[in-house]
Amino acid sequence: MKVQATNLSQSIDAIIAGAGSLLPELLLAGFFLLLVTLDLFKSRTIKQLLPWLALTGLFSVFILQILGGYTSGGVQFLNLLRSDGLARYGGMLFSAAGIFTILLTLQSKSLEQLKEGRGEYYALILMLVLGLNLMAKSINLLMVFLAIEVVSIASYILTLTLKQEKRAVEAGLKYILYGTLSAGVMLYGMSFFYGFTGSLNYTEGTFWQALLQSDYLLVTIAAILIFAGFFFKISAAPFHFWVPDVYQGAPMPIVALFSTGPKMAGIIVILRFVAAFADPAVAAYFDDVLLFLGIAALVTLVIGNFTALWQKTPRRLMAYSSVSHAGFLLMALMAFGTNYTSSVLFYLSVLLFMNYGIFLFLQISEENFGTHKLEHFTGLGHKLPYLGVMALLYLLSLTGLPPLAGFMGKLLIFSNVWEAYTSSGQTLLLILLVAGVLLTGVALFYYIRIPYYLFLKRNLTQENLVISLSNKLLLAFFALPLLVLFFKPDLLLHYIEKLLAQTL
Amino acid sequence: MTDFILSSLIFTPLLAALVVLLLPARLQKPMKAVALAGALVQMVLAILLYFRFDGAAAANGQQGYQFVEKLNWIGFSLGSLGRFQIDYFVGVDGISISMVLLTGIIGVIGVISSWTIKKNVKGYFLLYLLLLTSIMGCFLALDFFLFYLFFEFMLLPMYFLIGIWGGPKREYAAIKFFIYTLVGSLFILIVMIGLYTSVIDPAATAAQLDMLQQGGANPNVILQVQQLLQQNVIERADIVRTFSIPAMMEPANFIPGSLLHVLSGTVLWDLPIRFIAFLLLFAGFAIKVPSVPVHTWLPDAHVEAPTPISVLLAAILLKVGGYGLIRIVYPIFPDAGAYFAVLVGGLGVLSIIYGALCALAMNDLKKLIAYSSVSHMGFVLLGLASLTSEGVNGAIYMMFSHGIISAMLFLVVGVIYDRAHDRMILNFRGLAKRMPAYTTFVVIAFFASLGLPGFSGFIAELLVLVGGFSSPDITGLLPRWLTIVAVFGLLLAAAYYLWALQRMFFGKYWIFPELREKAILTDLNTREYLMLVPLAILALLFGIFPHLLLDKIGMAAQGFTELVLKNGHEQLNMVLSTIIK
Repeated sequence: MKVQATNLSQSIDAIIAGAGSLLPELLLAGFFLLLVTLDLFKSRTIKQLLPWLALTGLFSVFILQILGGYTSGGVQFLNLLRSDGLARYGGMLFSAAGIFTILLTLQSKSLEQLKEGRGEYYALILMLVLGLNLMAKSINLLMVFLAIEVVSIASYILTLTLKQEKRAVEAGLKYILYGTLSAGVMLYGMSFFYGFTGSLNYTEGTFWQALLQSDYLLVTIAAILIFAGFFFKISAAPFHFWVPDVYQGAPMPIVALFSTGPKMAGIIVILRFVAAFADPAVAAYFDDVLLFLGIAALVTLVIGNFTALWQKTPRRLMAYSSVSHAGFLLMALMAFGTNYTSSVLFYLSVLLFMNYGIFLFLQISEENFGTHKLEHFTGLGHKLPYLGVMALLYLLSLTGLPPLAGFMGKLLIFSNVWEAYTSSGQTLLLILLVAGVLLTGVALFYYIRIPYYLFLKRNLTQENLVISLSNKLLLAFFALPLLVLFFKPDLLLHYIEKLLAQTL
Repeated sequence: MTDFILSSLIFTPLLAALVVLLLPARLQKPMKAVALAGALVQMVLAILLYFRFDGAAAANGQQGYQFVEKLNWIGFSLGSLGRFQIDYFVGVDGISISMVLLTGIIGVIGVISSWTIKKNVKGYFLLYLLLLTSIMGCFLALDFFLFYLFFEFMLLPMYFLIGIWGGPKREYAAIKFFIYTLVGSLFILIVMIGLYTSVIDPAATAAQLDMLQQGGANPNVILQVQQLLQQNVIERADIVRTFSIPAMMEPANFIPGSLLHVLSGTVLWDLPIRFIAFLLLFAGFAIKVPSVPVHTWLPDAHVEAPTPISVLLAAILLKVGGYGLIRIVYPIFPDAGAYFAVLVGGLGVLSIIYGALCALAMNDLKKLIAYSSVSHMGFVLLGLASLTSEGVNGAIYMMFSHGIISAMLFLVVGVIYDRAHDRMILNFRGLAKRMPAYTTFVVIAFFASLGLPGFSGFIAELLVLVGGFSSPDITGLLPRWLTIVAVFGLLLAAAYYLWALQRMFFGKYWIFPELREKAILTDLNTREYLMLVPLAILALLFGIFPHLLLDKIGMAAQGFTELVLKNGHEQLNMVLSTIIK
């Protein structure tokens, strides 16, 4: 009894000591509860207030993470969560993604007219961002699983926001089926790891040392099973089949969120997981896992880019573009022995702006001009040059052409891969590098189809088309960083480096 | 004012583009005036630069560049990889001065030729001016990143200029152009990444190592750093990597153990990795030149592009390919340049002959001229591959001369197309009777292009052929028969031009019946004289007084060949020795 009591008090002390590091999450949870409670009231004014309340919550979390100071470097919460620079930067990206999602939602007519479930919609966005934050902080396999599940469940419901549409229901169902399957597979793999090591704390050296003593085949299989779950979240092949359907069925702001938030968090989780592979001894034991990762990256790149070529709707095109970006990020994570973390974070930040930009463009054109197929863009660029030029900027950045930040991100990542190839001499890296560079040519071919219809084709109808000022401002807001980060990438890189160095 | 003359050259059109952007779309006249002003200022600056440029200054190493501007642009450290440095680094030397002058002149001609554009004037001139900025930037950049930025940025305005203002099959031509050249630049990108991760900036590294005393980075310190580097004693984190092209030209700046180091000994598919890098770069620039197996985008792009864009494409855009070979590929990989001389020269000769044969078979006058471009640009490759002083001089002279003459050729095609909306050779006969002044200029352009003595084309071809013929004796790189075959290209050029002239312009006046209603065959107007007369004068001027240009090119070409030959043979031996071992 007494022992239990001391244990309990120790735990409580630990929770109190570490609670400060969870301030952003606590804040998010608080706003979530507030939103859910306020949603119960029938008053219209309160309903109108909900998005702004959610926005306030996310914004305060964003500011909090920028200011920092709520945690003294690298505090661990019960060996479950670590608040380091990586998690903090990830948190900024996630809150920014949440803010952008709500901004896009406020511009969306179909979501404005939503009769029921508007309150839960905003609350769930907060919950999703909370889950993403937890994913980035997790250093414990079970915690990773829980965080991923939080994100997944919020995602399932958000996919179904427009539940009167058949397509949304199909997408939601597919999403849930794939999600639960991959979660189960991942949990199975994790149970192996727990069995081998007796620990769930995968960032510790002893964890990996224990694995090195275990059966090679089983460890390899278990690791691949775990990656299955991660791949689902970042939409890498062969767990990408849900992507096109969900992108087709979910509301546009949610698609934008899916294309960035879970992907960024998934990449950070993988980043923490594969950090152990930088040790040559571990890497040697996990050579088949590394091979699997490399091939998965290659296959994802190839499938994403080539399947995008045949797509006829902009949403599906962007779905496969998102798959190809997952492959690209996986490739970036293979550059062991180099300091790739800051490059990857830089790329993720750029990805955030380009994806929200392009999805905002798609939302504007879909809601105002009914562009459900690529042909529907015909001549739009002549009518609305501003909209067209902005779309062009996002698409070129997605392709990775100068003078846009997408190019800078790719250049950094390619440099890391080249450097890793120089030091390790692994042919797989060279193949990945060459494939990554050359597939940019393929990527251009499908991305350019949108500007092709926008500008090169002419539409003879004489309608007077307008887009609202707020939309125009938002478009510029997403485009501006793409230019700035091309010409001065060191501004952001220095910041990331500083953050990573501070608390690691 | 000469302090920032190069930046002014690059950014004047950009400034004009901004003004055009701010003008409301209905003010078409002022817009054209602004574009013209931008191009004129650029031309005046280019001419000024040409006169100020000292052709006699030594051309080796960094001292050869004049009017240099160097500013830190992007610098960041990647932990264990050391620092990365991207500079805004521009300068002009004997190789680029001719191209700068050419760009200045053609830029103005292009604006005059665009005067009749009616569709979306604002967008057109905006893109046109952006294109001028990026082309000029390409010729002046001495930092690989900066070069690549401008190189890639050319594609986009060109894509839209062909795709929106082009002919009936414009969409196809535009996308073909874009994909071809993008693939080319991706090849270049791979090598660029390889290069800058391998090359250090000795001066900046010295600063990082606190080796700089008073007086900055003098040659001794640089030599010391290079020795330390080759002994592999500099900490990785202290190394400053650079995109600077002059730094990449010195083998001593390569980090030992990096893949592109001369002694790396890395082999891929039985070829040293440096050779593969050379081939990738060569392929990337050969698409732009264009050389024969990868030339197919050019006829399409030319046929569909509006006249001013054809002019720009043929006269200056293609030159970026040849220029890249001279500025980047050969100086950085001289060993592979020596090793693959026959390949490069062979492709050049193939382009000369195949292009000429295709031109002979064309019924469309614009296609004929497009193929003649392929044929003439082949001479650039041949001259370069010979690695003799004459050959390299000839290659650069050819680029300049072809720029002037091809601009004329595409303008004269534009003249007939404007009037008849058709340019099939067989649809016209005896045009000389109706349009005597026009015919005179066609004759001048054709004869200048086929290499009649007295025109600049003759000097260029002569130099290239002399270089090719002397190559077996001086450098031993090219077999003599290759140049003999190339001579037939001249013969074929005479054949296709004279035949076209005979069919279209001489004999009894006749025009295809369906065209008669629409075609109003008036002779040249003032605007057309304004473009054709200066070009004809320039073609003659540089044909009669070749020293005007050769004085500026000479030292640089000499320095280039010496550097490439000396380094080439040394490095080739080193590369091959590591492989055999």
